[in-house]
Amino acid sequence: MLEPILFTLFSIIAIVFAFNVIFRRNAVHCALHLVGVLLALSGMFVLLNAAFIAVIQILIYAGAIMVLFLFVVMLLNVKGDAALLTPGGWKGFGFFFALIIFVELLYVVLSQGGTEGTPAQTTALPPGFGSPAEIGRILYTTWLFPFEVTSILLLIAVIGAVVLAKRKFA
Amino acid sequence: MDLTFLIASAVKVLIVLGFVLLGVPLVVWMERKVIGHMQDRIGPQRVGPFGLLQTIADGIKLFFKEDIIPSGADRVVFIIAPALPVITAFLALAVVPFGDTVNVAGHAIPLQVTDVNIAILWILGTTSMGVYGIVLGGWASNSKYPLLGGLRSSAQMISYELAQGISLVSVIVVTGTLSLASIVQQQEHLWFIAYPTLFVSFVIYLLCGIAETNRAPFDLAEAETELVAGFHTEFSSMKFALYFLAEYANMMVVSGIAISVFFGGWRGPFLPPVVWFLIKLSLFLFFYVWLRATFPRLRYDQLMAFGWKVLLPASLLNLVITALWVGLTG
Amino acid sequence: MPGWTVPLEAYQLVAALLFTIGLIGVLVRRSALIIFMSIELMLNAVNLSFVTFSKQHGQMDGQIFVFFVMSVAAAEVAVGLAILVAIFRSRETANVDDVHLLKG
Repeated sequence: MLEPILFTLFSIIAIVFAFNVIFRRNAVHCALHLVGVLLALSGMFVLLNAAFIAVIQILIYAGAIMVLFLFVVMLLNVKGDAALLTPGGWKGFGFFFALIIFVELLYVVLSQGGTEGTPAQTTALPPGFGSPAEIGRILYTTWLFPFEVTSILLLIAVIGAVVLAKRKFA
Repeated sequence: MDLTFLIASAVKVLIVLGFVLLGVPLVVWMERKVIGHMQDRIGPQRVGPFGLLQTIADGIKLFFKEDIIPSGADRVVFIIAPALPVITAFLALAVVPFGDTVNVAGHAIPLQVTDVNIAILWILGTTSMGVYGIVLGGWASNSKYPLLGGLRSSAQMISYELAQGISLVSVIVVTGTLSLASIVQQQEHLWFIAYPTLFVSFVIYLLCGIAETNRAPFDLAEAETELVAGFHTEFSSMKFALYFLAEYANMMVVSGIAISVFFGGWRGPFLPPVVWFLIKLSLFLFFYVWLRATFPRLRYDQLMAFGWKVLLPASLLNLVITALWVGLTG
Repeated sequence: MPGWTVPLEAYQLVAALLFTIGLIGVLVRRSALIIFMSIELMLNAVNLSFVTFSKQHGQMDGQIFVFFVMSVAAAEVAVGLAILVAIFRSRETANVDDVHLLKG
């Protein structure tokens, strides 16, 4: 009973804020609307039994990555570009292409052809589904190698960011 | 979701809200009196007995002040920004257990607004969202010093979040659970502060907590002698009161978490559990005030160096040692 | 009415819509920062799709993938913003139409 209400609420917030992200001229407003989208998505993750991922989304995405975005926007003081809906250049083609992609995605989602082999959703989920214990168990056994590679990737990103942002003393 | 649960939750929410809104004036009074006595003066003494109504008088004064919004400031963000730290502070307080399970009219009601089974992650998440109130407040003021103060403050907060999270992870390694209620349950015989590596965890967590709440000696970004009060320079009247409330509510959050995780929560010999929680909370808040009265503030580069070069490696090393100890002894 | 559950296709639909909105942002906006934010929007739409699939199949692998997508997104944002700051320092513009020549 509660789930359809919450789902409708979160999806309306996510879609309206997503439209605001691409239509606003002020970069800080765009970033704040993106934070709103991330929080709405986090709510949807909770509805989908992914409690750990939902909180990690708030912690990392909304709490760290978007703060980094806001820092860069505020420090660079980027001026807004021309409004989205003024005609010019290749904008019309961009809209048309996105519409084609959307129709394709709709077809994939709504057709029954892509769902062979998946069980009906009436099977109950195992009790610890989405909990940190389950994530930890799988992450350190089945997915250990990608985990280690990701940690090296993050190290490379840190080094790269520091090197790129240093002023060159020529 | 039955009716008992709804009514009990509503009452608990009102209790926590009321406690923070009534407790903060008391904490402010305590701070002014304690700092006054530590500086060999008396502090507020005229308004009400022992100056107890001083904070109320200040609140009434702030209420009647003119509410100024600078020209060129972003109106919507300027109005919303002070509310964000308060919202995140209350969200974090929702998972702190302030008492044992009580029996009211035959129903067992735990004294905790919600018992989330990922409570520690929730705390870390809401404290990271608290950065937005600072950075947006600084930016929305459309003024140089608030912007710099806001950026400095939020850079400080996100730097100390890391060491704070890792020091709490050492506790999770020992307890095996993220839920605050069960962490308090597990401290039945021995508080976690008694374990050596967890004592180090506590020290790191407390230092990071003080830096997170922008309190002395880490309060450079909002000190009057530095950046003209930093991110809350342009906020007057009730917006400033909200920032002020948020600072003390965040102090209560940090203290509440430290009490629940390291000091046995509401456990204690003779008195009822809620009273023990309040006693421990008061001791922590007194410690905060004592630090403010005693230490000079750290320079910004000293502050950031301390967070990144000292606390973060220390908490990582502590985590490794704790994990080794738990793994070897079981 | 009790017992109404949301069909998982609805979540996929929302994910598809968010992906398309992000795609419009990447193709049509000219400011590099907004393009970055639209890319993040697309990544989040994909995350939602992964989590929905994870629930549909009853396996946790979808959520593990979301974990990796988030880590990679964090790394990408850090490096990408550093590049953006470096470009902005030398050319004073964040408009992607103005940085079409290799030499500054």
